[in-house]
Amino acid sequence: MKIRGNDPANDPSSILYQRCTIDLPARAVRMEDVPCRNVEDVLGGFGRSFQVLAERTITDPYSPENPLILNTGLLTGSNVMTGMRSYFSAYSPLKKSGKGLPGAMWSAGSGDFGNRFKWTGLDEVIFEGCADIPIYVVLRTGESGPQVEFHSAEHLLGLNAHQKIMSLAAAHPGGHFAVIGPAGENYRTVRMGAIALSTEGQLKSDQPKMRFAGRGGLGSLMGYKNLIAIVAISSLKLDKITFAIRDVNRDIVKSPGSARFQPASQGGGGGTWANIEVLEAFHAVPLNNFRPKGNDDVKKLYRDQVEKVFDIASEGCFRCGIRCHNNLYVRNEDGSRGKLAAKFDFEPLILFGSNLGVHDPKQVAELIHLCDSLGMDAISLGTTISYLLDYNERHPEKPLLNGATFGDFEKVRELIEQTGRGQAPALGQGVRRLSEEVGETAYAMHVKGLEIPAYLADTNPGYLFAIAGGHMSMGTHMLYAKEGKSTVEEWTQAITTTGLLQVGYDMVGLCKFVGLGIGHDLIVTGIRETTGLQISSEQVIAAVRRAYLRGLALELRQGYSDEEYTLPPQVLSSPNPKITLPSFITEEFLAQLRKKVWSVFLPEMEGLLPDK
Amino acid sequence: MQVTIKLFAALRWKLFEEEVREYPEGTTVAQLAADLGIPAPEIGIRLVNGRHCPFEQVLQDGDTVFLMPPIGGG
Repeated sequence: MKIRGNDPANDPSSILYQRCTIDLPARAVRMEDVPCRNVEDVLGGFGRSFQVLAERTITDPYSPENPLILNTGLLTGSNVMTGMRSYFSAYSPLKKSGKGLPGAMWSAGSGDFGNRFKWTGLDEVIFEGCADIPIYVVLRTGESGPQVEFHSAEHLLGLNAHQKIMSLAAAHPGGHFAVIGPAGENYRTVRMGAIALSTEGQLKSDQPKMRFAGRGGLGSLMGYKNLIAIVAISSLKLDKITFAIRDVNRDIVKSPGSARFQPASQGGGGGTWANIEVLEAFHAVPLNNFRPKGNDDVKKLYRDQVEKVFDIASEGCFRCGIRCHNNLYVRNEDGSRGKLAAKFDFEPLILFGSNLGVHDPKQVAELIHLCDSLGMDAISLGTTISYLLDYNERHPEKPLLNGATFGDFEKVRELIEQTGRGQAPALGQGVRRLSEEVGETAYAMHVKGLEIPAYLADTNPGYLFAIAGGHMSMGTHMLYAKEGKSTVEEWTQAITTTGLLQVGYDMVGLCKFVGLGIGHDLIVTGIRETTGLQISSEQVIAAVRRAYLRGLALELRQGYSDEEYTLPPQVLSSPNPKITLPSFITEEFLAQLRKKVWSVFLPEMEGLLPDK
Repeated sequence: MQVTIKLFAALRWKLFEEEVREYPEGTTVAQLAADLGIPAPEIGIRLVNGRHCPFEQVLQDGDTVFLMPPIGGG
């Protein structure tokens, strides 16, 4: 960034970001300093990239005109704790409207790639078109500014995500990497390819400690572009930590918001894993395709049960004191710690565990590991497989694919392998397309074409207004369990005031696990101390709100109808009596909610998209 | 009066899973939590007989109290 003023709200054009446009077919590069149009541009992430996407008319995600945008947030690469996020944005191969048009998406990830990318001096790369052969692109710091190199990636094809990263690390010491797995290479039959991001711990240990930008199939788009990997090479560029930043980081670690994710051994909540036990108290943990049965099966995946089988280590990203990763290591016969088995977070743990009827921690770990290695989004894949198992249970006389049903570990494993290798297009296309193909959409757990995460739709009408993943872009996924709110007014309030601000962290470059509202003073202080920019909490919130609403406006432009702002039909037609929280979502409830939320949002959405 | 207490996740790991304890009439959820030595910020969800409740809620004989840590996800 070139910062020539300090008032982004009133003089955004005095702040310029460095854009690199890479024409993949021509292997041509254009560098430019782009003046910011507004605070969204200054903050970055999807707030900036969605303005680029809004300028394009894209009807087919797999078309050369669909750009893949890599960028960072204002605090990526800074001393503010968790400031290492990178963002990928495009029209999604997976998310589609009823009219068949692709939805705009972004996907965020941590790891060390974001820092290294930012430190090359670039703020944004737009990948245009498709390369004629499989390539990888190296972005590095040069004497006169950032440089771009193109390399053949033929030798990387077929390798899993970790293998690709380690191969690139051998060729480019000091680099960090964003790669696709076999799934992304097979983009024609796998629309849920993820982008794996390397970590320092991974490179040092040769263990697959990757992070992922998973949602929306942007790894598949990379595959379409014949872009197998992106390498960022730069030297560490962190300023001396000021007293104010030290205080910010201390407050982040000490905040109750982040304490939820900190190691249990240090008095923290033990990461998202703890959600299982809390939600199970309400029998609200997804089981057998999001249909809890009121039994205790899921208790086999509680932390204290898993500790009997694995060594659990609390680890973290680069210089992050939250240390939210619960890495499971194989326990050797002599009691020593063996190789990494998997990382247990709530989402993959449930979506490859109880929601598939698999309750053996070792088996769940193997499924998660396989999904990661092949480079797929755990939420999309897990939810699509659970649909298939449900279908097969309902149709024993005519099952799909290998006939797997709930709990059939070996067959599920086979399905994951086949999907990642492009050999199971029925699953690779995601649950919306699959359910429409077989003609049974009632129990396909998606909203607007994107598979729902491991929080029951029965408890979250906020999914309707998530714009890029049910729980990543609308912070209402645990509202019902936490607070028991169940009126249209309460949900309208939550969606239109606090819930939408969830997306702010996907602009500024920090991780959501900071656990504080985006309007918190820490954000303002962090921005001021690292960039010199003077911005108020109100201005940050206003920019986040505009960015969110621009995303919602983009959905409407891509053909989403009002009827698509709904939940899976089964949730409405067949409330699950096993969930101990009172059922409150009906067709009438959703109709009223839509009416009230749109009445707030639509007037504010005027003028947010460019005239076309 | 007798109150059944059920703890979950991090609270369970530190203390116990379920106990029945005696409390004087008029005891609130906040006072019960203090008796257990659980600071308020460590409690994210409070239920009495399956319903969400404020810290100030006065308990009745035979109530079942669920205390859960803060949760979050993403």
